[in-house]
Amino acid sequence: MARLLETRGLTKRFGGLVANEEVSILLERGEIRGLIGPNGAGKTTFVNLVTGIHAPSAGDIRLDGESVLGLAPFEIARKGLLRTFQVCRLFGNLSVFENLLLPYMARGAKGSALDEGIGRARELLELTTLTRLAKLPAKGLSGGQRALLQVCCGFMIPELKCYVLDEPFAGINPVIKDSIIDLILHENRARGVSYLIVSHEMAVMRRLCSKITVMIEGRVVAEGPLEEIARRDDVITAYLGKALT
Amino acid sequence: MIFTSELFVQTLIAGVMIGVLYALMALGITFIYSIVKMINWAMGEFYMIGSYLQFILVVHLLGPEFWWVAVPLSALGVFLIGILLEPVLIKPMFVKALERRDDYATVVTIALLLLLRNLATALSGPYQRTPGSVLPTITIGPLPQDGARVAAFVLALVAIALFQFLIKRTWLGLALRAASQSRIGVQTSGVDVLRLDQLAFGIGVALAGLAGALLAPVFLVFPTDGVVTTVKGFEIIVIGGLGSIPGALVGGLMLGIVESLGAAFISSPYQNAYGFALVLLVLLLRPTGLFGERTRQA
Repeated sequence: MARLLETRGLTKRFGGLVANEEVSILLERGEIRGLIGPNGAGKTTFVNLVTGIHAPSAGDIRLDGESVLGLAPFEIARKGLLRTFQVCRLFGNLSVFENLLLPYMARGAKGSALDEGIGRARELLELTTLTRLAKLPAKGLSGGQRALLQVCCGFMIPELKCYVLDEPFAGINPVIKDSIIDLILHENRARGVSYLIVSHEMAVMRRLCSKITVMIEGRVVAEGPLEEIARRDDVITAYLGKALT
Repeated sequence: MIFTSELFVQTLIAGVMIGVLYALMALGITFIYSIVKMINWAMGEFYMIGSYLQFILVVHLLGPEFWWVAVPLSALGVFLIGILLEPVLIKPMFVKALERRDDYATVVTIALLLLLRNLATALSGPYQRTPGSVLPTITIGPLPQDGARVAAFVLALVAIALFQFLIKRTWLGLALRAASQSRIGVQTSGVDVLRLDQLAFGIGVALAGLAGALLAPVFLVFPTDGVVTTVKGFEIIVIGGLGSIPGALVGGLMLGIVESLGAAFISSPYQNAYGFALVLLVLLLRPTGLFGERTRQA
């Protein structure tokens, strides 16, 4: 399989704090990868580095074999690496429909491409049963609907190659959780979108991800199928604390 | 002062007319703030540039009967100056994550204010000029109104309508509305926010320049002619709420009416004080301004 997203020795220091230390991850095309770790392990920092929100202190990030180091977040987005935010970043005063169209329009779509975008937005609304809310300002949505819409925004981009989802399932009801999972799998099968999913929901991770990366204190400590990882002592210790002996 | 309903109506109309022009100024300030997240303290100087451009075009190039051609050209000129200045003065603050960006923005734009004001004095001298007006006095109902004021009012309304169209109905407007809510969010959607900054700065100062061009025949043209209007612009921002477009419009109208009524029925030398009384009242009752929202800092 071809390499899609690759980081080499990615390091980020905030003053004296090393949030990410020599993180090297290789994501293959079409892969759905989970990223887990206890709070403060540096998962969100890693997501921020990969998507250009923060500049790394050291290391390299490659998308499709091409370094995206030093590119602005919007340039990385236009290369097909999209993300969602843990704290939902929808545009509350824009309508649901406008929220979907914005990332599509940002690519400079004109003329017939525009109609295509509108059609695509309608399709996604249909798929997620949000159609009747299309004209509503996004701030009127429930937490779960917002999370769902946020994930949909990325699927608006035809060039989407790699989708980084930061805690897409946190605090969301099971019905919407299922429709997000269905959407992820659908886009994965239909057009080979790859994912890096940050989540604590092991049940979901088991359903979605063939391979899981574990981060603890800014470093990658384990990588492999969930069953294998769940048996490792260091992972259990980090999550649950040391067993009393 | 004898109170007559005729005088009252005339004063009210005068207040609404000047209020719309104040609103134009406030709109510029609030618009730049909502996108770029900084206050441009040099707004009055862009007003001044607009008034000088109008003066030069009308008196030296086009002739007084073509004042209506000069107005959009002056606004366009200020827009271009804004577009050229932004990458030099404002953009560097946003390319790298700077701490205390607000403080830098304040210092940079106040320096720009001093530079432009003194440049105008050096180039044109301290003289007060006027482009004059060919417009006759227009009678609205039984009441006469200064033609240049009516023209300024009508064109300001047109400009505000165009601005609303741009914001509500175009793709650029969609991106601008999104950027005003989350600069990071809009970037991860693939929008080049620094490019938007440049456009927003240009449009914002062009609104001030337009106010300057429209008011050039009403007030006089001189190097500090933008000061009073800028102060009113900021008063409106406090009244209407920072970052709110309806706030700028409603606040502008309120300020114009209050000033006008105060000057006619209380005492005209204190005209500028009535606005401040209104500001204090709003601050007492609604510290965030009429349309302002309390912001949450994440």
